[in-house]
Amino acid sequence: MNYIDLFRVTLPETALEAAALLVLIVDLAFLRKAAATARTGVAAVLGVAGCAVSLWAVYSAGSASLSFGGDLLLAGGGAAAVAEIGILVLTALTLLLIDSGFTQHPGEFVAVVLMAASGGLIIAAAQDLLVIFAGLELLSIGLYILTAFAKTSAKSAEASIKYYLFGGMSAACLLFGFSYLYGLAGSTNLHEVALAAVTSFGSGSPLFYVALVLVVVGLGFKVAAVPFHLWAPDTYEGAPAPAAAFIASVSKVASFALLIGIAAAIRHPFGVVHGVIRFVMAHSGPMPRWLGFEMPWTIVLALLAAASIKIGNLAALAQTSVRRLLAFSAVAHAGYILLALAWFSQRGAESILYYILTYGLTTIGAFGVVGVVERATGSDTMDSFLGLHKRNPVLAAVLLVLFLSLAGIPPLVGFWAKFNLFAAVLAVGAGVWPFILVCFAAAFSAVSLYYYLQVLKRAYVMPVVDAAPIRVHPVTLIVLLAITAAVVVCGCFPALLQNWIAGFYPTM
Amino acid sequence: MIEQVAGFAPQTASGIAQLLWLIPAVPIVAAGLIALLKRPRRKLAARLAIGSLVFSLLLALCAFVHVISGWAAGHAVRETVNFTWVQFGTATIDLGWVLDPLSAVMLVMVTFVGLLIFIYSIGYMEHDENFTRFFCFLALFAGAMLGVVIANSLLLLFICWELVGLTSYLLIGFWYHKPSAAAAAKKAFLTTRVGDIFFFLGIVWLFSQTGTLLFYNNGVGSMEPVALGGLVSAHAALGLSAATVIGLLLFAGAVGKSGQLPLHVWLPDAMEGPTPVSALIHAATMVAAGVYLIARVYPLMQAGAGTSLTVVTWVGAATAVFAALIAVAQNDIKRILAYSTVSQLGYMMAGLGLGGVAVGIFHLITHAFFKALLFLGAGAVIHGCHEEQDIRKMGGLRKEMKITFLTYAIAMLALSGFPLLFSGFWSKDAILEAAKQSSGSKGPFYLLAFGAVLTAFYMMRQVSYVFFGKWRGHGHAHESPRVMTTPLAILAFFAIALGAIGTPAWPWFRGFLEDRSVSFELAKFGEPSFLALLATSTVIVFVGLGLGWLLYGNKSPEPEERDVLEKAAPPVWAALANRLYVDELYGVTFIAFYAWWARVADWMDRHVWGGIVALVTVIFGLLARFNRFFDNEWINGGFDKSCEELYSGGGMAARAQSGRVQTYLRILALGVVVLVVILIWSSRG
Repeated sequence: MNYIDLFRVTLPETALEAAALLVLIVDLAFLRKAAATARTGVAAVLGVAGCAVSLWAVYSAGSASLSFGGDLLLAGGGAAAVAEIGILVLTALTLLLIDSGFTQHPGEFVAVVLMAASGGLIIAAAQDLLVIFAGLELLSIGLYILTAFAKTSAKSAEASIKYYLFGGMSAACLLFGFSYLYGLAGSTNLHEVALAAVTSFGSGSPLFYVALVLVVVGLGFKVAAVPFHLWAPDTYEGAPAPAAAFIASVSKVASFALLIGIAAAIRHPFGVVHGVIRFVMAHSGPMPRWLGFEMPWTIVLALLAAASIKIGNLAALAQTSVRRLLAFSAVAHAGYILLALAWFSQRGAESILYYILTYGLTTIGAFGVVGVVERATGSDTMDSFLGLHKRNPVLAAVLLVLFLSLAGIPPLVGFWAKFNLFAAVLAVGAGVWPFILVCFAAAFSAVSLYYYLQVLKRAYVMPVVDAAPIRVHPVTLIVLLAITAAVVVCGCFPALLQNWIAGFYPTM
Repeated sequence: MIEQVAGFAPQTASGIAQLLWLIPAVPIVAAGLIALLKRPRRKLAARLAIGSLVFSLLLALCAFVHVISGWAAGHAVRETVNFTWVQFGTATIDLGWVLDPLSAVMLVMVTFVGLLIFIYSIGYMEHDENFTRFFCFLALFAGAMLGVVIANSLLLLFICWELVGLTSYLLIGFWYHKPSAAAAAKKAFLTTRVGDIFFFLGIVWLFSQTGTLLFYNNGVGSMEPVALGGLVSAHAALGLSAATVIGLLLFAGAVGKSGQLPLHVWLPDAMEGPTPVSALIHAATMVAAGVYLIARVYPLMQAGAGTSLTVVTWVGAATAVFAALIAVAQNDIKRILAYSTVSQLGYMMAGLGLGGVAVGIFHLITHAFFKALLFLGAGAVIHGCHEEQDIRKMGGLRKEMKITFLTYAIAMLALSGFPLLFSGFWSKDAILEAAKQSSGSKGPFYLLAFGAVLTAFYMMRQVSYVFFGKWRGHGHAHESPRVMTTPLAILAFFAIALGAIGTPAWPWFRGFLEDRSVSFELAKFGEPSFLALLATSTVIVFVGLGLGWLLYGNKSPEPEERDVLEKAAPPVWAALANRLYVDELYGVTFIAFYAWWARVADWMDRHVWGGIVALVTVIFGLLARFNRFFDNEWINGGFDKSCEELYSGGGMAARAQSGRVQTYLRILALGVVVLVVILIWSSRG
């Protein structure tokens, strides 16, 4: 490794950090006296520009990767590149949807968003335990700050401290698990660890299982999988709307990209040494099912997936706050994706990326609508959506499209996301369990329609209480309409996004 | 016949073919815009709809000229643009559109007739308060129908097919406050759905056999020899090849849409919609979509070793006679025309089955013009007689409504097949000729000839009732405004002129569709076979017209009086007047069965499934109680102790989402322990 390489590969992250600093300087040095809206506008524009530069850097980096001493640190191309582009686009959208109402320090908010996003970029590509941990912390600490950003709101502070405590605990578990893995494998490189799990310390060591579970706790916390989801409803409810949107979308994309990286690494030794193992096993009886990571990984993730799908959907049914509803629905969506991670394949990776990108996009839009309604009515309860189609028909239409897409109604993109995901799980062909769980997931996604429709029913059908029109900032409106248009177009032409994602895999 | 298809070599798409998608897209966008308009913008709505269709017409004409010039230059045009729509693993579903003579002709016909009917609607719907909604639906229909026409993929065709079905439903039920209109809309939707199910089965089967739903795709499309060969050699059941069975399944869809026996029952009821709708959708275009579908998949129908085409022929011929018989005994001006449409669609099907694409489609095109004209004329009559539809309460209108009468008479003569002058004669003659020369059974020929007599007869009866004799209605009849009569005149012109492109001496249309060179040979008119047929059809038409005039001409019977035929043979008349009891038959069979089945399902729902749900509730109630017990006794008791270090000041309740972060962390720790235990336990097991 030399520093030129390091700089070239981490150019996207560097661009974001530089943009963050620039935002701070401009905001603090030149705009201290300016109106809040102007400061927000300048900061957001600079932030978006930073994302654009970073996006250019990702494209120009191509499939360049970074290694140290022969071990891969940051992967290039493939899932990492797709996720990085997704993170940058979603970050830019989040920035465009910021309203200036909740804070006096918009510059700092944007700067923290950009720094957290750079953490997301790192974990999307990370291939080494320590890099993963550093990236996760960079992302997570940014998110704790963002959650607490509404300094005058007690709810925001409470949400942040809960998030922080839970996150700290999970990070401790993760690091503890990493240290076990390092102790067992003698390396912090993911591939080395996976290889060592197959060849040397692998089967049946309780320490290994403890390590695996601890790692899964840390990652399950990030993606809000049951039972590590408990922070999500409080955080989604208490955080300022743009922060919640960021947590729900960008952080999810980054975390699932990390999970894809890990799952791919776990499968990797089977590609390399499978032949050897098979040869050895041919002389010493049948191949054990419990070899290396694969089986325990599948079991743990399948359990988390099933629990997330069930609890996420059922708990969402009982919510009256739309933000908490979105939080529990996020848990459920994470559950669906975990299924594809449990029975992982190349096609599964593509379908997860498809799912998480479209989910992130839709969720940002949904939080955008919730934010607007909240500002107008002062609350995010379902009843504050009453008569939305009278108060602002365009906003109501956006909400309709986005929520139906989240529920998976064709021809919106959410349908294809679910379809591809479930098809990929079934295509792995691992017997009856994936089939049962996919049926389970499909049944619960039917349940999910109920709570999405609860909100839409208030927006469209139920009697209007207050018919005063709701104003939407033109930029917000344009962004929301663009998101809606993307959801519809990608839904009508599902092959567009599929082919785009597949284009990042050189081997396909 | 296969060798004609071989003339269409694979070609790259020209500029106009690349732009073909705009033809359906623009009206659909216009429909969307109209839907977003506020109510009072009536003028803008009409302008948007008509403007979009003018655009489509111009583009369609460009495409048509392009196809003609290609044909004239000696290379048949069949240009396709395909793209991948969905991908599942390695399988792809492709969509696309095709520009060939068949689609070009249909495009021009649909946009042109559609445009005239749009213009007519401005006058007809002038006083309707839902004017904008009407034009929104009309534009959406036009877009969807044009989508059916350009589709190069069975799936895209099916999507647009369902869309036209939807707009048909919406427009039949346009006056939804009338119970009869709402019921008719439902009936149309459900009846066509029966055919569509088979259609969809055919699509799925075709996809599983050939792996593609594209019609033409440079040699690998499903209508091209390689795929057809595979279909012919694949055996389905009862000794039929897959090609035959798929062909028949697709035909079932066409039967539903085109109102063929036994699914014709919805079409006469569909006349509950506004008259322009009847003219455009339920006479000229949508109902012809079934015929178009068969023409589109003609290679597949041919590959079915004759069986499929024989079925098409017999169903068509039977429908032609069946519907013509019923039309004789109807008194509603639109219902007569509706049954006449069903009957003529039967002719088209028979024409496809006996004579090939050109024969069937030629009748489709000429029929579209004169039947649209008839409906618009009927609309003008209804409008002029203050929304009266019973022909017994009209009479003598030829004086009050001169233009309407003149154009109506032209259309009626065209429909009856009056020799030499009118387009309907040439197109129907081609079908009769094909039936006569068919190597198979002569049955269809006799049926079709008998149907032709009946056609002339019931049209003469209707015209006598409406335009001759004394005025028997209430109030005073009046001629329609210019905006309504102009389209009538234009359509009347084409009802005559279109015949010129399909005469035996100059079979331009056939040559165009089948890619053959055409020359003008006047001598063909002198050939004995033509003269014999001419004589036959002349006799047929004159017998029909003469009988009609003899029985009804200038008689002006009172509305209460029984029909002359009814006096002669009451039971036969009753049967015909009651539409040969087909609806009643369905009522006591299918509908009764479904009603019974619905009651069974209702009972099952209430008692069996409801019971299961109640049982599940009880079980979960018990589980919840157990859970609470578990919570109180185990977690709060035993587990709390084991997690003392995490337990800094929490309450006793350990329920999820209590808002207490201590509880959260405890659950996290519990999760870790449980997962580790599960893993270690199952790795040992």
